[in-house]
Amino acid sequence: MATTTASLTIDSSDLVGDALSLSTSNTLYKAGTTTGLEQTTGMASLYLTATTQIDLFPVLPASPAGAGKQSWVYICNKATDETHYVRITIADSVIGDLYGGDFMWMPWSQQAQHADIELAPSAAAAAAGVFVEFTCIHEGITYPTEADS
Amino acid sequence: MATINATLSVSSDVTKYGFSINNTMEMRKAGSTAGLELTTGLARKTFTSTNHVDLLTAGSGIAADVTASKSAKVYIKNVGSSTSDYFTIGLGKSSGTGTEEAFDMADSGEKQAQLGNLYGGDWMLIPWQADSTNGYGDITVKPNVATTMSLEYMVFFE
Repeated sequence: MATTTASLTIDSSDLVGDALSLSTSNTLYKAGTTTGLEQTTGMASLYLTATTQIDLFPVLPASPAGAGKQSWVYICNKATDETHYVRITIADSVIGDLYGGDFMWMPWSQQAQHADIELAPSAAAAAAGVFVEFTCIHEGITYPTEADS
Repeated sequence: MATINATLSVSSDVTKYGFSINNTMEMRKAGSTAGLELTTGLARKTFTSTNHVDLLTAGSGIAADVTASKSAKVYIKNVGSSTSDYFTIGLGKSSGTGTEEAFDMADSGEKQAQLGNLYGGDWMLIPWQADSTNGYGDITVKPNVATTMSLEYMVFFE
């Protein structure tokens, strides 16, 4: 069993009248258990030069291996230009935009055929080229069946 | 202009060679180096039914001042400790009932997608477009049990 710990600190000395400091940490477990997640896609790095929307992970089939299980997704826009964003959507609904340097961390329900996580660079990001990094720590993902012929 | 930093650290032995993420981002306005200046503050909400409801309604309620299609970040945490009870966090239309709104791309008024489940102690940090069109951008929540469960959440926005 693997042990994966995710920690977050949010701090600001000038957002509100007094200093803001929020820290939290959790261990990533399989759904409904205290058994740690044991699988990952690994950290991927992509260089994108078109505004084409892509699926970050294999397209969810009718019966995803990860349905009803737990998955965590990290996505980071590695652009250094603050105007270059990538748009993150799920099931074609916009979650939000990650500008240069932004990241996100969220659980992922691999709903059958509905919950593909998609990314599309903005025109400026695509024109300049943009690196994105992403990973999924999970307890099941359905990979495409080979199709050599 | 405020300076808000979010630092994520993930450490794991999920691979033989180890796995880690260490990243800090400054929460900034869209396309700018200026920091986000506004926040809802840290809110806490308790749920006692399995109804599928809005946690954040784009353009109204606690999120009334969040400007759509700008930069906003949402933090949500299940403050419970149960490893079996969870909140399903979604995006789009909430049903208001114990049955989650079904995914229906054919009906523009029914768009809803699950993001994922937060078990006790789990948290998430995502960007938020806050699209108020037909509730597409609402962040929804559905507890899996009717026992008392609480969430904490906070929006940073411009």
